[in-house]
Amino acid sequence: MAELNQEPMTKAQLEYLRRQRTREMRQQLVSFGLMIFLTFIAFGLTAMEVIPAQFTIPLVLGFAFIQVILQFYYFMHMKDNGHQFAKLFMMTGFYFAIAFCVTFVYIVWIGAPVN
Amino acid sequence: MAQTSARKQGVGSVIWEYLTTVDHKKIAILYLIAGGFFFVLGGIEAMLIRIQLAVPNNDFLSAGLFNEVITMHGTTMIFLAAMPLLFAFMNATVPLQIGARDLAFPFLNSLGVWLFIFGGIFLNLSWFMGGAPDAGWTSYASLSIASPGHGIDFYALGLQISGAGTLITGINFATTIITMRAPGMTYMRMPLMTWTTLVASVLIVFAFPPLTIGIFLLMFDRMFGSNFFIVEAGGNTIIWEHLFWIFGHPEVYILILPAFGIFSEIFATFARKRLFGYSAMVFATVLIGFFGFMVWAHHMFTVGLGPTANAIFAVATMAIAVPTGIKIFNWIATIWGGSIEFTTPMLYALAFIPSFTMGGVTGIMQAAAPADYQYHDSYFIVAHFHYVIVGGVVFALLAGLHYYWPIMFNTMLNETLGKITFWFFFVGFHMTFLIQHFLGLWGMPRRVFTYLDGQGYNAANMISTIGAFLMAIAVIVLVVNIIITLAKNERVGMDPWGDGRTLEWSIPLPVPYYNFAQIPLVRGLDAYWVEKKEGNGKMMPSESLTDFHMPNNSILPVVMSLGLFIAAFGAMYFPDGQEWAIDAVSGLEPKPWALPVLIIGLGITFVSMGIRSWKDDLGYYVTKEEVERDLEELERGGK
Ligand code: HEM
Ligand SMILES: [Cu+2]
Repeated sequence: MAELNQEPMTKAQLEYLRRQRTREMRQQLVSFGLMIFLTFIAFGLTAMEVIPAQFTIPLVLGFAFIQVILQFYYFMHMKDNGHQFAKLFMMTGFYFAIAFCVTFVYIVWIGAPVN
Repeated sequence: MAQTSARKQGVGSVIWEYLTTVDHKKIAILYLIAGGFFFVLGGIEAMLIRIQLAVPNNDFLSAGLFNEVITMHGTTMIFLAAMPLLFAFMNATVPLQIGARDLAFPFLNSLGVWLFIFGGIFLNLSWFMGGAPDAGWTSYASLSIASPGHGIDFYALGLQISGAGTLITGINFATTIITMRAPGMTYMRMPLMTWTTLVASVLIVFAFPPLTIGIFLLMFDRMFGSNFFIVEAGGNTIIWEHLFWIFGHPEVYILILPAFGIFSEIFATFARKRLFGYSAMVFATVLIGFFGFMVWAHHMFTVGLGPTANAIFAVATMAIAVPTGIKIFNWIATIWGGSIEFTTPMLYALAFIPSFTMGGVTGIMQAAAPADYQYHDSYFIVAHFHYVIVGGVVFALLAGLHYYWPIMFNTMLNETLGKITFWFFFVGFHMTFLIQHFLGLWGMPRRVFTYLDGQGYNAANMISTIGAFLMAIAVIVLVVNIIITLAKNERVGMDPWGDGRTLEWSIPLPVPYYNFAQIPLVRGLDAYWVEKKEGNGKMMPSESLTDFHMPNNSILPVVMSLGLFIAAFGAMYFPDGQEWAIDAVSGLEPKPWALPVLIIGLGITFVSMGIRSWKDDLGYYVTKEEVERDLEELERGGK
């Protein structure tokens, strides 16, 4: 139940919170920079065609995967405590989604019952 | 403010109270009334089906009307009767069982029930507005895209609205159970009703999005000119079947798990024994939930997925029987050696074991893919799923109605009438559906509106119809029982069955609107029983008596749902007479007002969402003095 009767914080608590927030901010900025950088490389590789497509595709997918992880852990706070259930749900969701995609590709298109 | 004072209220204010309530106990009653109404409606449709099939070459219903009736029967029973009635019991009991003052999101709880009610009304308006959906409750795209008129649109939009409500409610229960348990209520001390609600809610969270997507694709094909399922334009109708069954199989477990929960409580209470193998029960529940997602293609064995896919899904399906079997044995071991009391709920529970097991066994038969080529789309399938759904879910709903009635209404349903209902229902149920296995094996197809004389189906169909009438008598006796009980209104006290084990029975009746004056301390599995045996028979408080916070009532959920209801009409008539529309509706009169109606409806919903977001609604405090007054009054009344 939401507790609305709030008491003012002590000085030490405030200090601690400040330090925490600063660190959090730094982490977010770093991961944000990293993500921009990865996006930039991905675009660059695709636009300039410096390496063959067979390599570009897995590379871009790999970058995307790293970005998803950064997004979840640093922006959506999965790294913090108390998120075990959120993690469990997301992992299960991933598992089901991937399983569905694999079966779809296999039995709807490659298995192609309509052909 | 939401004070339930002793003061007599006028009819208007009672209605307003129920329209705006966010109290889980009142929302439970809303679910019960609306779900009960749709249950009766679906039951009437069932009787029409059985009358039509009672004799060969019958023309009681025309072929087209028959298709509409079977579609509406299945859709109504699954989405508008069984699920809401289960939500009624979850709402009535789960917060009390875990020692919470309400759900995690009381506002969303109200939104959930109103979305369901408006979605259900929308779906049923189809009867009066040009014809009901007629492609079966599974609404396979090859049929539903071709179905002329607006029937299928009512199905798609109605289910989309009520499905949103279900998804919201699933999230709400999962959050509540994870975060709002009383001190000492660890996961492995949660009553099974709470456990099964948790797993069913998680299944809802994962299973409803595929349905939502499937229905969205169907809506876009039918109303906005896309081609997802339209084969001539490069679409693929099989995708609908996959999306539907990815939802559909977990859905049957969403229904049966809470039913298992209700029965587990009843067995322990009326055998006066701790549930046998509690941790195995929990484990089996979770395992069933997980496996439930891996087996959907067993509904599609005959589609032509190929032998590899069929084999994988056949094996996965058979695996589900293992945790289900564990549960059956645990229930038997629970009653084994118990001192059994044959109350009405217990009769349903005892009858449930063999009935449901028979449905499980036919399930395994169907899971053998090559054999299923024989069973599929025959009456054998109809017999299977009615054995699990009626013998499992409906028995649980009827048992739960008698068992939890005192918590919801502070009175007791009449036991004699309850037992009469039970016997009529039990006999009628087996009479109706047992013979259908044989009809299926003899070759009678499902979803066909009549059969010829001389095929050997006559006697069996007549028996089945007579059984259906016995079930109808049972429901009528039940309704009479309810009316008599409400009219007499003889109040009962705390723990009316005398053998309550879990927290919900430790609360005075009527349950105060804040549930617990002090949140109790839980000292073991079957918290109340522990205190009865080891303590002084009262729950120990885990906190001192202080002010606590409660949410305000709000009319916004009704307004939001109404907005979507209006928008649905706009969406439905939008493609009429348009040249890009599918053949089913392109010949109809164009409706230029459709787009404005769509926009106005969505506008109402979004504006009310905005009000909810930007206008602060901080709730109110229940004061210590008020609670003390209530407690004193209780003391005086009790002595
Ligand atoms: C032992 C567990 C179960 C097994 C192995 C099983 C297996 C199956 C199979 C293979 C089918 C498809 C048959 C066909 O269409 O050819 C089926 C249909 C069905 N089952 Fe089950 N089942 C089980 C339990 C349940 C439960 C617990 C429920 C509901 C509470 C249920 C509800 C249904 C429904 C509604 C259908 C028919 C859907 C339709 O085509 O309209 N089943 N089952
Ligand atoms: Cu299934």
